[in-house]
Amino acid sequence: MTNPNLVKNLAETLTGVLGWFLVSRDKSSSTAEPSSLSPLCEALPSAKHYVYFPQVRQALSAADTNYLMERAPAQVAILALRERRAVVRQFLKGLREDFSNLSRMGRIIASMSPEVSRQQETERLMLGLKFQILYVFVQLRLFSGSLPIEHLEHLTGLVGRLATRMDAAMAKISALSAGQIPGNVGA
Amino acid sequence: MNHLESTLSWFTLGFVSILCGFVFKSRVYKLLPFFAAYSYELLVSTIVVWATYEHAGFDSLTSYYVYWASILINAAVRSLVIVELCRYGLRAYRGIWALVWRLLAVLSIVLILRAVMDAWGQPDKIAIYGATLDRDLALASIVILASLLIIRNYYGLDLEPLQKAIAFGICFFSAVDVIGNSILRSLYKGYLFNWFVADQNALWPALKTELTFVNDLWSTVHLFSFMFAIGVWCYALRKPLPAPAEAPVLLPAEVYRELSPEINLRLATYNNRLVELLKP
Repeated sequence: MTNPNLVKNLAETLTGVLGWFLVSRDKSSSTAEPSSLSPLCEALPSAKHYVYFPQVRQALSAADTNYLMERAPAQVAILALRERRAVVRQFLKGLREDFSNLSRMGRIIASMSPEVSRQQETERLMLGLKFQILYVFVQLRLFSGSLPIEHLEHLTGLVGRLATRMDAAMAKISALSAGQIPGNVGA
Repeated sequence: MNHLESTLSWFTLGFVSILCGFVFKSRVYKLLPFFAAYSYELLVSTIVVWATYEHAGFDSLTSYYVYWASILINAAVRSLVIVELCRYGLRAYRGIWALVWRLLAVLSIVLILRAVMDAWGQPDKIAIYGATLDRDLALASIVILASLLIIRNYYGLDLEPLQKAIAFGICFFSAVDVIGNSILRSLYKGYLFNWFVADQNALWPALKTELTFVNDLWSTVHLFSFMFAIGVWCYALRKPLPAPAEAPVLLPAEVYRELSPEINLRLATYNNRLVELLKP
């Protein structure tokens, strides 16, 4: 593989990955059909971003890094590494979106419930605050270049399992509340 | 009463009358009875204060007491409007309401106790009491309304435009009152304090100009902010009120009982993984 080809392939991969993120977000916002369940459906914690992890991992693998460092000119390698960090940042943003969707679903269920546990609500509030703080720290570590990319795999595996379970849970809610959810939660 | 104060009093009376007209025309009393009562109370208190100025004289002791009494009565009725805003629309969401009213009640009690204790420690002069109580009650209004808006936003339960406008108006002139009363109180307790001390009556002629200037300035700022808030309320009331929202149909209680711990557990797992990421 010649250098121009290598750069071209890398650029294509990165563009593809970024394109996937953008398209997935557009799809998530444009394909939602209005229904009586819209408040809950909007909050579905579908964990959209984890499904693109194989592509992200491919683009960020250690083998690719080594190959890049060995074969590509220094400037190109640095540029490519910078782009990879940018992709990971986008990915982390997506994970935060998944977290906030899940948290929002919890709040909507609480608002629509006739009984609410103070302990559960306080716990969710604290978890949200903790996530925000941890997220900032992870971003800082990523920015400083001291976050091993491989660790992200554990996180994405979790998100995938979570998505499956929560989708099942939402199906259960939909069955329980068929025809009972008002169109406007903020009445 | 100088020309500016006289003009501002007339303007205030005009604004409050227009507000009462809107309240009556829109039948706000059916939707927000305390806000309607507050509007009429403002009209009555403005007329009473103005009539007292006219009959007893602007600088009389009677006017002084009537003015401070009207300020504190306004603050008390305004508190009822805030209670009404807290209840409005949120009461239908029984689970959240059960949680929120206790929180807001505790917050209110703490803030009112703080206001009373703060006033208690002041020199025994009604103007200083009044400025302190009014400032602390205004601060309490802002804190409670801000808490209400944060909680509603957190649970995705937006206030309707009229209620938002009322909350904004109260917050705006409460903020002006907090700043103004803080300055006023520090002046009363500072170099104007001799005005309130009978033994220092030799200094009164020298202080009178200063005191009049401070009071005039504060009255002007206070009345302008008050008229701005009334303008906001009138603007919100220009259209007919929407039909009251239907009560939401709530989910079965077991949905929350089953899902909430599960969601929290998953959120906690996210955090644990982020902590793992941060480990060296």
